[in-house]
Amino acid sequence: MLYRFVGTIYRTLLRRNSVFLTGVFTTAFVTEIVFDTAADKAWDTINRGKQWKDIENKYVQN
Amino acid sequence: MAVSPRLATAAFNRTFINAPYTAAAIKQLFESSSNLRSTIHVSPNPSWAVGAKRRSDGSILSKTILNAAPTGNIQKRLSSSSAAVDSSKSTIVPDFSKYRKSSEPNTSRAFAYLMVGTTGALTAVGAKNSITDFLVNMSASADVLALAKVEVDLTKIPEGKNVVIKWRGKPVFIRHRTESEISEANATQLSELRDPQSDSDRVKKPEWLVMLGVCTHLGCVPIGEAGDYGGWYCPCHGSHYDISGRIRKGPAPLNLEIPQYEFEGEDSLIIG
Repeated sequence: MLYRFVGTIYRTLLRRNSVFLTGVFTTAFVTEIVFDTAADKAWDTINRGKQWKDIENKYVQN
Repeated sequence: MAVSPRLATAAFNRTFINAPYTAAAIKQLFESSSNLRSTIHVSPNPSWAVGAKRRSDGSILSKTILNAAPTGNIQKRLSSSSAAVDSSKSTIVPDFSKYRKSSEPNTSRAFAYLMVGTTGALTAVGAKNSITDFLVNMSASADVLALAKVEVDLTKIPEGKNVVIKWRGKPVFIRHRTESEISEANATQLSELRDPQSDSDRVKKPEWLVMLGVCTHLGCVPIGEAGDYGGWYCPCHGSHYDISGRIRKGPAPLNLEIPQYEFEGEDSLIIG
């Protein structure tokens, strides 16, 4: 079962260099978006109430 | 002499067993190399053990074909980095089954490629971010960009008048165009223009023409309401621009450049 799964992954993703490289760069792209979003969210959570976007409505009337 | 072919090959090539050159030892060599424990007749001097090997020039290379240790005058080595070899046990191969992979080869191949791919992806992210950091470092910071904007009060510019303001060290022409000037700019055929561009591509609101006051020829500042086409005229080399700021005559190759600008409500203009 596992061997068949590994074989499928090898044949679909790793065998052709073009597919392999495309997959590598796609992974890089997705990884960066996920990492940046998660890091921003963590930063905003830790600094809640301290950033300009949190206190802007106290000083600027639109 | 009946010697098994395997042993003969092993003896002619270099064997890994260094055996003393005695009949008893050769017999032991037979028994450990070949699994034939049957009786093999061994003469004291087998023919393969006495033939001298010679180099091509005739000088002697070895006295026996067998790679055997010398019998007399053996120096005793008092220290050695390698353990003493017990020739009776040296052919025993240790049991490596504990260290062998249980997975099949395809699994380890796929695993290796996935590790390579993951390393590549992470390296690509790192490289991209390094380059981005260097490039962002070169661009203007937010405070510089905030100062680089100019706000213009449009209510103070009457119809049919030009205003020249300074923006990022360059003059910017703002003209409040009349209805007749707008229709004149729209009536111009694109085929007669050197740098074909329709008037609607050059303005956001037809009555306000905003453009950089830098001649596209060599960078002089053109004079407003002058020239053959009722627009701008560059005194340096005689370029004529029409009421939409398009080059019509003279050496300049391109129309006057349009900066980035936005209208804030009805009577305010922000350039930058």
